[in-house]
Amino acid sequence: MDPIQKRELKRQAWMRLSAQRRRAGLLRGRVVAISLICFVLLWGIVFAQMATGNDPVLSGKEKAPATTAVAGSKRKVEATTSRELEPESRTDSAPATEEEVVEEPEAEEEFIRPEAEFEEEEFTEAEPEFEEEFVETEPEAEFEEPLVTSQS
Amino acid sequence: MSREVGESFECFGGRCAVRAGDADAETARWAVEQGRQTLLDAHRALSRFDPASELSRLNHDPRAEVPASPLLRRVVAAALTAGLRSGGLVDATLLDEIEAAGYAESRDFDRTHEAPDAPPPHPAAACPQAGWCQFAVDERAGTVTRPPGLRLDPGGIAKGLLADLVGESLADLATFAVDCCGDLRVGGAEARPRTILVDDPAGGAPLHELRIADGAVATSGITRRAWTADDGRAAHQLIDPATGAPAFTGILQATAMAPTGLLAETLAKSALLAGPEGAEEHLPFGGVFVEEGGAVRVVEALPAVLPEVQAA
Repeated sequence: MDPIQKRELKRQAWMRLSAQRRRAGLLRGRVVAISLICFVLLWGIVFAQMATGNDPVLSGKEKAPATTAVAGSKRKVEATTSRELEPESRTDSAPATEEEVVEEPEAEEEFIRPEAEFEEEEFTEAEPEFEEEFVETEPEAEFEEPLVTSQS
Repeated sequence: MSREVGESFECFGGRCAVRAGDADAETARWAVEQGRQTLLDAHRALSRFDPASELSRLNHDPRAEVPASPLLRRVVAAALTAGLRSGGLVDATLLDEIEAAGYAESRDFDRTHEAPDAPPPHPAAACPQAGWCQFAVDERAGTVTRPPGLRLDPGGIAKGLLADLVGESLADLATFAVDCCGDLRVGGAEARPRTILVDDPAGGAPLHELRIADGAVATSGITRRAWTADDGRAAHQLIDPATGAPAFTGILQATAMAPTGLLAETLAKSALLAGPEGAEEHLPFGGVFVEEGGAVRVVEALPAVLPEVQAA
């Protein structure tokens, strides 16, 4: 087999291989895109549900904005604790119960902040990942120098 | 529109380039590399300055019928085509005359575009002996036949042919351009019109712009590879077949457009050798030629000859 035929066969094989690669790349791209869309949608649903106060953990009990719901649940916990401790606290001086009541808002704030931060971070991180996928596939710079015909 | 990748490299004693564009950049890059390899392989096989090249071996072979590779057979067939198409003006068997003019080895070219000591211009003519007619190719036997001692120097014809061969291998891609030391072949499955600049033989700014989507452009001239002969006269590599001496026809450079690189190269050479009066009839697809004194003449393509190749 002469070199030109060999090169032609090589070229055809390469073309077939590259077509196969192209198809695989397309499928891969679709799978990645669908996964990303599903991920964003899922998180969007969770975010919307949480933001409207429909936390599944608290479902059917309280319907209030997320922060209030958490604050309410905390208040309950605090209330039971204080009730359980009531006999002891009653034996203690009166200012002690006042301190408990004053500390309540601080405890609420500490609990609320991390949740809000967590929600924001999740969504701000997801977006750049999605953008990067498309930036990577950007084709390389155009080869646009004009051609010149000169004495050969 | 796909973007092009390309490579530029030394080959055929000048600068060659291969460019290709495709939706799959990896395929384009691979095809460009293959094109580069094809040109470098062809250079090794066809260099007359390398005694080990296939062309040198053919030129020195004492047999009348010599086994030849498909590439060499195509080159010989191209030389026959060029001779036929130009009416014998383009003769690839004038190696003895080129060597006698002082181009026996790879050399420096010391002359510029001006040749005040050149003989008075006159059109070149075909040689009655027509050495190129004595070559024959037997594809079935894989041989080249010619009288022993008759040597071949394909020169620009090989460059035009190689531009076509590499172009053929890139034809499936969206766009491509092959530059064989100034002989250009462009096209592709989604060929788009490109601007081709015509070089100034005096080394100045480009003289003219051509627009071409799918086809070829080639330039032939007597100012780039020119030197002073031992007897002090101006010399160059384009030989007048009738006299066996460097041709001074009144044209310094001719550029031809055509569907293929081989034809463009043949037409450019024959236009230059025909002189200013006869050049136009050798440029049916359009072209440009520069006369002694610097006058630039643009020849429009004949109507309906080649719709896709149009002068700007």
